[in-house]
Amino acid sequence: MGERREEGEREIGETDLYLRILGGFVVLVTTEGDMIYLSDNIREYMGLTQVELMGHSIYDFTHPCDHKDIRDNLDITGVPGRSRCGGQRDFLMRMKSTVTHRGRTVNLRSAVWRVLQVCVSRPSLSCVLFTCQPLSLSHTLLHTHTFTSQHSMDMRFTYCDQRVTGFLSYHPEELLGVSVYELCHTLDLHTLTKSHQNLCSKGQSVSGVYRVLVRGGGYMWAETHSAVIAKPRPTQPHPSKPHPSKLSPPPFIACVTYILSGVKEPTQLLSLGQMN
Amino acid sequence: MSVPTSEPYNRLPHYPQMCTHVLPFHTYCACHCICEKKPSSDIRKPGHFLHHPSRSGSLLERNRVRCFEDNWPYEYLCSIGTPGMDYTRKRKSSTTDYQIDGFSFEDSMDTDNDRLGDHQGRIKNAREAHSQIEKRRRDKMNSFIDELAALVPTCNAMSRKLDKLTVLRMAVQHMKTLRGAANPYTEANYKPAFLSDDELKHLILRASDGFLFVVGCDRGKILFVSESVYKILNYSQNDLIGQSLFDYLHPKDIAKVKEQLSSSDTAPRERLIDSKTGLPVKTDITPGPSRLCSGARRSFFCRMKCNRPLIKMEDKDFPSTCSKKKADRKSFCTIHSTGYLKSWPPTKMGLDDDNEPDNEGCNLSCLVAIGRLHPHIVPQPMNNEIRVKPTEYVSRHAIDGKFVFVDQRATAILAYLPQELLGTSFYEYFHQDDIGHLAECHRQVLQMREKINTNCYKFKIKDGSFITLRSRWFSFMNPWTKEVEYIVSTNTVVCGSVPEGSDGIYPQLAASPQSMDSVLTDGTGKRALQTVPGIPGGTRAGAGKIGRMIAEEVMEIQRIRGSSPSSCGSSPHNFTSTPPPDMSSPGGKKIQNSGTPEHPSAGMIPGPDSIGYPYSNNSNLSDNAHIGIDIMDEPGSSSPSNDEAAMAVIMSLLEADAGLGGPVDFSDLPWPL
Repeated sequence: MGERREEGEREIGETDLYLRILGGFVVLVTTEGDMIYLSDNIREYMGLTQVELMGHSIYDFTHPCDHKDIRDNLDITGVPGRSRCGGQRDFLMRMKSTVTHRGRTVNLRSAVWRVLQVCVSRPSLSCVLFTCQPLSLSHTLLHTHTFTSQHSMDMRFTYCDQRVTGFLSYHPEELLGVSVYELCHTLDLHTLTKSHQNLCSKGQSVSGVYRVLVRGGGYMWAETHSAVIAKPRPTQPHPSKPHPSKLSPPPFIACVTYILSGVKEPTQLLSLGQMN
Repeated sequence: MSVPTSEPYNRLPHYPQMCTHVLPFHTYCACHCICEKKPSSDIRKPGHFLHHPSRSGSLLERNRVRCFEDNWPYEYLCSIGTPGMDYTRKRKSSTTDYQIDGFSFEDSMDTDNDRLGDHQGRIKNAREAHSQIEKRRRDKMNSFIDELAALVPTCNAMSRKLDKLTVLRMAVQHMKTLRGAANPYTEANYKPAFLSDDELKHLILRASDGFLFVVGCDRGKILFVSESVYKILNYSQNDLIGQSLFDYLHPKDIAKVKEQLSSSDTAPRERLIDSKTGLPVKTDITPGPSRLCSGARRSFFCRMKCNRPLIKMEDKDFPSTCSKKKADRKSFCTIHSTGYLKSWPPTKMGLDDDNEPDNEGCNLSCLVAIGRLHPHIVPQPMNNEIRVKPTEYVSRHAIDGKFVFVDQRATAILAYLPQELLGTSFYEYFHQDDIGHLAECHRQVLQMREKINTNCYKFKIKDGSFITLRSRWFSFMNPWTKEVEYIVSTNTVVCGSVPEGSDGIYPQLAASPQSMDSVLTDGTGKRALQTVPGIPGGTRAGAGKIGRMIAEEVMEIQRIRGSSPSSCGSSPHNFTSTPPPDMSSPGGKKIQNSGTPEHPSAGMIPGPDSIGYPYSNNSNLSDNAHIGIDIMDEPGSSSPSNDEAAMAVIMSLLEADAGLGGPVDFSDLPWPL
């Protein structure tokens, strides 16, 4: 009896290990949207507990604008079986979190939205497994092949760090005002557009892989994690003051780009921007 | 309470271990004194003469030095002070100095007169001494709390000083994270009956399309890899266990992965990366608010070898094992690895110290991670023998038709080098007969948001002859500004003769054929058509002009039309065309969005107001600033006053190099950790 319990504990430990490695939690959802199982480490990320959420509808805890995406993924007419993470069935979802970005715990009534990257798979016809990972940029701190940049909301560079020169051979000053859409390979346009749209609507995004053009010719594979930084408006606008929207500074986009490969086809000239 | 007055010294109470000589406050002496008196219960009461002076100066000195090494609770020593001592007057024979935070006290044999007169003074001095002690204690506590705040990443990043309770709370949180999430429940971990642990485990791996691997940090030895690695890298479990990970990485990624493994210290500490070499730079642990450490978590991309032998006739003779000779012929997959570093002290592992003479007893640490095949990767083109002439290429054009991008297939199809095409207008290559309808397409694509299919047309290639192409154009618009950035053209070679009429596959545009003349003439009637041989591309004078004219014309139309929503077709990029639903905040309040669902045409920059965007400046949202992603501070808290500060925070958090940005005003942590 004791042995079995120990074994059970060890097994639980292993699952926790996997979840911990993934840096996320899992939710098992019926096609109606009821959450029939959640891993208990959800508490670490969202503050909400397994017990609190189990049995409730996922629609009660996610952003209304994302309900359509969720519904599409829960659709019973979908093909059962594993679908690739990162393929079409990978989407961003905003879920309520009682842990704020600063680590403070708040009441559910004043919960914040946290953006999660969700991989969908379908273990059986009747339920869907969401593997949810919060999008966080802190792990990129230790990465060598990255550079950071800032953009206005239309994705034109407003700032870029020096490391970009080592990869793309452009100096940061040369990139100011340049749109990322000029720097990417045309075939990857859709990838970047989708990411930009996610950014605008949800606030955070991970682009898929795309090709970024290198000065002089060639390209490199890259992936960008980005987020919109916005200042909150003051909550109680004073009646005598002008409309607060005029005073709050515009939001901007902060990006961290991972370079995934070396320069491919360095002699292949692809765009006008590469020629000088 | 008996106050010793002029009693001989050796009658004074004291602890046997303690010598009373020159005992400053909060120290005690461990010398063994000849006095035998036991501690008395009165010893803490104020007024007791705790110490007695020694008789010789040298013993005094010795004791004083020794006494400083030990600590004694200051409360006890605060009670020092006795009316029997004159703290200010030096005694001639032997003196003892009491050091209390810089105050010198001396005891002496006093006369009664002095005692009485100085009593008040002594009490006052005692109180001052006490407050000094209190102050020192507070300072020490504050310095410890500051040190703790510097070690805890969340506190570290804050610009303003946090209050002590918050620091302590964050330290507790952080320790919990480091040690692993403490299970808050006493009840058993719930699992639905149909989902066993094993299944869940496998489900997670399957869902993420990954494999588990454990790699030792010191030499990169693969200690464990799960069976699912076969599906992804095509190596079996046995092939990999025991091998060095670096043998299976792309050579250029070795340094990157080494760097990820090298910081086996899981405690958060400062890490800087030299931007030139990409290697970590050792720094002293001087905590600055700029650095954020992720502790034990690791996440990185690298290229790993896939055991997929290339199909080559010559290789049939070689056995298809994963030998290193074939290493450079293998293809690579990009793997996204996420996990964390775990370390074990050697004793736990039962490692024999004798076997590892060079091991300084440091911890064995490993990276435990899941490697996932990174999605969306276009497979690397293999060096196959069969070369197929491409029939399609993609190009980008500025709104006036100038080539700004050509993919590599264009050279194979058109025979021009990219340099020859880039910067030139596509009108230079169109056959004269086609210019009319293509100009019309051009006009339309800029105005409509749909993909436009051209008819077949002739395109001049390098040697002067024409090939027949058919293109699909669409204007790419920036999702935010809705302005046309460029036109994307997918061009397909059409073989054989093409009938003039519709072939039923593509919808035809009802374009009346126009000659280039009519397009170009501004009423001057002058014919500007000329081909200029010898110039790459066969430049047509005026070709570029057509494009520019059309572009300007369309922009003008849109500017005029700008204020009212134009009747544009649905745009593939118009993601906000669905009217934003009423967003209920978590607080249950309804948020009305005052933005218009329809958007004006590309000429206008709608800005945040008219898009159903969480950031739209809407006074109704003012109640609930949590709507949308409120990554910056919660309302009510102090926030930096300008964009530069926020920018600087992000940069610092994302480990900007020292060369960027000067002194920075740090605000609260905007990122989730």
